[in-house]
Amino acid sequence: MHDAVMLESRGRPTAVIITSEFALEAEAQRDALGMAGLNAVVIAHPLSSLTDAEIGQRIEQALPQIERVWLVGRTA
Amino acid sequence: MKTMPVYDPRGVVEAAPLVISPRVKQLDGLRVGLLDNTKWNANKLLRGLRDRLAAMHAFGTTNYYRKESFAAAAAPALLDRIAAENDIVVTAIGD
Amino acid sequence: MGPARPPLTRARILNMGKTDILHAPSPTPATQVPEGTDLIEWYYERGCSDGLPVVPPTPAKIAAAVAALGGESGLLVARVPPRWGSLTHEVLAINMVMAGCQPEYAPVVEAAMLALCEAPFNLNGVQATTHMASPLLVVNGPVRRAIGMNAGCNVFGSGNRANATIGRALRLILLNVGGGWPGVLDKSTLGHPGKYTYCIAENEEVSPFAPYHVEHGYRPEDSTVFLLAAEPPHSVTNHFANDAEGVLDSVCSAMSTICNNNAVSAGHCAVVLGPEHAATIAKSGWKRHDIRHYLWAHSGNRWDDLYGRGRYGKVYNRNLPVWYKREPDARTPIVPSPDNIHLFVAGGEAGRFSAFIPGWGHMSSPVLRGVGGARPAGAPECADGTCAV
Repeated sequence: MHDAVMLESRGRPTAVIITSEFALEAEAQRDALGMAGLNAVVIAHPLSSLTDAEIGQRIEQALPQIERVWLVGRTA
Repeated sequence: MKTMPVYDPRGVVEAAPLVISPRVKQLDGLRVGLLDNTKWNANKLLRGLRDRLAAMHAFGTTNYYRKESFAAAAAPALLDRIAAENDIVVTAIGD
Repeated sequence: MGPARPPLTRARILNMGKTDILHAPSPTPATQVPEGTDLIEWYYERGCSDGLPVVPPTPAKIAAAVAALGGESGLLVARVPPRWGSLTHEVLAINMVMAGCQPEYAPVVEAAMLALCEAPFNLNGVQATTHMASPLLVVNGPVRRAIGMNAGCNVFGSGNRANATIGRALRLILLNVGGGWPGVLDKSTLGHPGKYTYCIAENEEVSPFAPYHVEHGYRPEDSTVFLLAAEPPHSVTNHFANDAEGVLDSVCSAMSTICNNNAVSAGHCAVVLGPEHAATIAKSGWKRHDIRHYLWAHSGNRWDDLYGRGRYGKVYNRNLPVWYKREPDARTPIVPSPDNIHLFVAGGEAGRFSAFIPGWGHMSSPVLRGVGGARPAGAPECADGTCAV
């Protein structure tokens, strides 16, 4: 979240992808860093142990959220 | 009524509220940065996303960056470079 | 989407103090409660505890701890990640009292917190990681005896107030000020018992070698704190060897596992020699330098063994140095250098046991810091941010 806050502070809309296990931590971190308006893109946990096909599913899950973050600032 | 003091062990948090940057109105023609924090499969995720997004939008360029360490914040110089070379960014993965 | 999370104390998450934007100017109670309130239960209910009862702070106890810190209750020591809470002298004192510390432990606790918040330690990462790493504190120098620390029998265990409460004070600060609550910002899958307290002293009196801090450029009369993000100690038993190589081969064996975090993430580790083992090694004429180099040279893994012998395809692993050969039979060091092995002598004088303590990896570097402003010999004399040249 730190990198995303820094990039947004430099004027670049940033879609930061996290897995569902870290949603709460991401909120707490962006609040602690002072950027309450930063919304993360959330994909199902885990990512590290997936097959290529499963990674493909996560890609599809992330795509619409990424576009909305860039254009609207929210994922929903 | 007699009272006893109780104390707060947490310490204050001083955070100047920050606002997110203005959004972009459309994605065609923009330069897209992808920041890989080198955690497992972040690269596969980002490369797949880049290919799918590039097929859907006429981006200007796509630029790929890797953090030195997944567990520390990106170096300010790297962040400056990403901001200079791109209009929008996607980063992965916080897991 | 993902597994159900265990119920979390929403109050704890919201109670992160983010609406407090000003320093508390002087010792100010957060609030008053009716006399006769069960304060131990009160602090439990506020979510301030590590699971064990905390000592309810009183004005006198806080004042004593602040005085031991040199006064200035509003002085900012550090901001503690990942919550970036402001650790002032007063907040430090409150957590010390809650942990059960005596005021005279203050210089050690303060030095340790300063060390943890130095950039190379990467406390933000250590707090948040899914790995079980937790800061291990090793104290050197005269302060150990001055405050009654245990460096001998059962050094990693319980029974000594200084060891127990100094380590606990650090953890309470990491929880309360740093926000490192399990499930919220601390994502450690398993944790380990060192997350209650993980603080020892080196047994300089019994050690046949120079103390750790002297090896690193401090004077013997200086006192230091050493902080390493560490797994629990792994016992090394060896009752049959009567020379340095024999004892150290057992330590090498303990190091040479594919599953300790150094094996796949590089970084730093610690080795604690029990006094009997240390005496045997010293009898062979070996010194610290010899020990660390032997351990480094004769430990390691086969590259192929690290990732299931090719079962999951070829793996490069960018967390390991580029100069490790990625060939099936190549020997992969446990840490990249003998200087990444931090060697201590501690424990009781009976028993042929030592311990290997893996670290987290390259993501965190251990920090050695003087207590009370002590600096390594040859370093500039500095105070309050200015250095005499």
